[in-house]
Amino acid sequence: MSIKSGYFKKHLTVDLTKGSAEYRELSDAFLEKYIGGRGFGAKLVWDNLRKRNFKIDPLGENNLVVIAPGPLTGVYVPSSGKNSFVAISPATGLYGDSSIGGGFGVELRQSGIDVLSITGKTPELSVLFIDNHETEIIPMPELKGKTSLEAEGIIREKLDVQTAHIATIGPAGENLVKFACVNADWGRNAGRTGFGAIMGSKNLKAIIVRGHEDLPVHDINGLVAEANKAYDYLREHKYFKMWQQQGLMNVIDYANEKGILPTYNFRDTVFARHDQINGATMLNDFKIGDTACFACSMCCGNICLVKNGKYAGTVVEGPEYESCAMLGSNLGVDDFAAVLSGNQLCDELGLDTISAGNLVGAIIEGYEKGIISLADLDGHDITWGDDDAILNLIRMIAYREGIGDIIADGPRRIIAKWPEMDKLILEVKGLEQSAYDSRAGSSMALAYATSDIGAHHTRAWTIAREIEEGQNWSDDERVKTVIYHQKLRPLFDMLGVCRLPWIELGLNERRYENFYKYVTGNELTLEQLLVLSNDVYDLTRLINVRLGVSRKDDSLPYKVHSSPPLTGPNAGKVVDKESFQNLLSLYYRERGWDEDGLPPADIEKKFED
Amino acid sequence: MSKKLTVIPEQCSDCRICELVCAIKHFGVNNPKKAAIRVINTYPHPVMRMPVVCSQCRVPACAQVCPTDSLRHVDGIVILDKETCISCFKCVEACPFGAIYAHEDCALPIKCDMCGGDPECVKYCPTGALRLIPEHALGETKRLNNVLSYTQMREIEFYEKGEKKTIRYAEIGKEEL
Repeated sequence: MSIKSGYFKKHLTVDLTKGSAEYRELSDAFLEKYIGGRGFGAKLVWDNLRKRNFKIDPLGENNLVVIAPGPLTGVYVPSSGKNSFVAISPATGLYGDSSIGGGFGVELRQSGIDVLSITGKTPELSVLFIDNHETEIIPMPELKGKTSLEAEGIIREKLDVQTAHIATIGPAGENLVKFACVNADWGRNAGRTGFGAIMGSKNLKAIIVRGHEDLPVHDINGLVAEANKAYDYLREHKYFKMWQQQGLMNVIDYANEKGILPTYNFRDTVFARHDQINGATMLNDFKIGDTACFACSMCCGNICLVKNGKYAGTVVEGPEYESCAMLGSNLGVDDFAAVLSGNQLCDELGLDTISAGNLVGAIIEGYEKGIISLADLDGHDITWGDDDAILNLIRMIAYREGIGDIIADGPRRIIAKWPEMDKLILEVKGLEQSAYDSRAGSSMALAYATSDIGAHHTRAWTIAREIEEGQNWSDDERVKTVIYHQKLRPLFDMLGVCRLPWIELGLNERRYENFYKYVTGNELTLEQLLVLSNDVYDLTRLINVRLGVSRKDDSLPYKVHSSPPLTGPNAGKVVDKESFQNLLSLYYRERGWDEDGLPPADIEKKFED
Repeated sequence: MSKKLTVIPEQCSDCRICELVCAIKHFGVNNPKKAAIRVINTYPHPVMRMPVVCSQCRVPACAQVCPTDSLRHVDGIVILDKETCISCFKCVEACPFGAIYAHEDCALPIKCDMCGGDPECVKYCPTGALRLIPEHALGETKRLNNVLSYTQMREIEFYEKGEKKTIRYAEIGKEEL
């Protein structure tokens, strides 16, 4: 079978140094093999690495950033607003990607392209404006220092683009903070692995897109019938209403009950005052509206307003679970208004809430333990739940003031300065761990250790199954489940859709082979699609291996091995070092990689053309 | 009974499913920019998501400016006569709500025809922000909300069988009038 539709077959390449924009044809073989999203990104980043002899400074001109929706982005399929950012990450120096929801990717596709790649650097702060088939690099030095949302507002007014979709960076991105994010649609973020810093290093403050092309669909009637079945299924689901109301905020209660909620920098995994920062609190006192990604009926996004107190007037698109846990319980903050304010501050500054919450937690613990002194903190005392000090520290990170300058460079620089902090920071490959504790289940630890971007749950999320199965789960099963997740979950990022309908409401993953078939005309089974997704996983591993990764880097943070949670259902649990190494060996064998975690030498041939 | 397509912006999530199903129904293509309904969103002051769609006005401003009389009432719906329309797009500019649309690919203005009385957007709206209600019931929700938010209402919290509840009541005679 072959590709009959579903793509414009166009790759827009922008070179900011030359000021050029050029459309390139994409071959059927490329489309078929890499599907879209992170698949396109990984391949283009790999090609760029080979061209540059594997010498790329993540914050240098030569780092190619790929912005890629997928063939299902923007089409009539549940939750089809996803778009991937892919590049070499400044946080890890390795392969990095992050996906963003909302409508940015849809608009990008509607401008008639399948993928956008940007290289080079403009002489002065500029924005990239893609207006259907016309592309322009516009200097806008007046945006310097503006927050993400301020910049979005100014651009809308000055360029008269009220309904365009705009991705911006904040001061953190301009200041090259290694966990700076890209913000679009007033609060959607490509949060992880530092895309804000990459844009900052290119002097690119914003990308504005406006498009109105028909999205190519092979069989629109077939697609509508199939999608309607999926929408009907979701609507009938017993948790559908709850999702619309709370979105991911419902996870706070679950994570607390199961003992996986990061609390006091992962020192604990239950938070006594979790009910002050949970979904019910949000619904009762703060939520003023729903927000959804494109074509999503679940509308998991919340809009919150603080109505009184010192944060009165704070409006934020969010929070969702990760932000709320990392800026709430992980920092001992039990005031939901303060969590919202922290979330809004991170959005405005353009900082990843997960990394920020993780590192601020580590700093507080380091200060408590005497590793970091009051002088190191420039006299700013800080402790758990002290929201004023926490927000101030977040601000210092974005503007690289005092200790903020060190934190802004991420875990590795903090550890270089204070070696004992190694025991307090939870990170893998330089990326701070996200908000699901892994000590309750070694497969979740394996997921973090082997994720291609670092300690993030995007590739595999097995903690729920760990909790259900307890000890009655063989290592063999664990490895197979992690690998299955690492095939299926990235497939969603390749197709350009959200995985929540599947993972949260149980929409059958087989439906996606039908969606893909109706859109592209290419009849592949789910198993065949998973093989393609797995090939991309091999490719991202290959990229990392060529940049120096091996078994030693698939390691776990100190706390996961040696510092158990103090209370709650998982009190006393750690992941045993030796059994983890056995699990890792099993994982490599199952993947066909060698004992050192290297894929077979001839694998490069697969990704040559 | 004449029914009106009404918008409850407070319930809209900006998912734009209405745009998609509208364009698919009328043009057979996956292109929200060809829809006769669009969600306009403002942030953060005020936070608003508002689907903008034709109100089928009794005295349509669009019809008044149409030089060929191509916009006419048919059973309470303002219908565009595709045979006589000359694509001058005066109607797009005249509509006080901006609820008629244009697209380069389309020869004619894009205007809601209520799908003949059973609008797709209402059928597929997942949050209930779009509704089809009898004309005589228009404004009912607003009236009720207005009554409920009457400024002299007071609120007290109490517990019933362990469950927190609130009751609202009108404070009589104690306000400085």
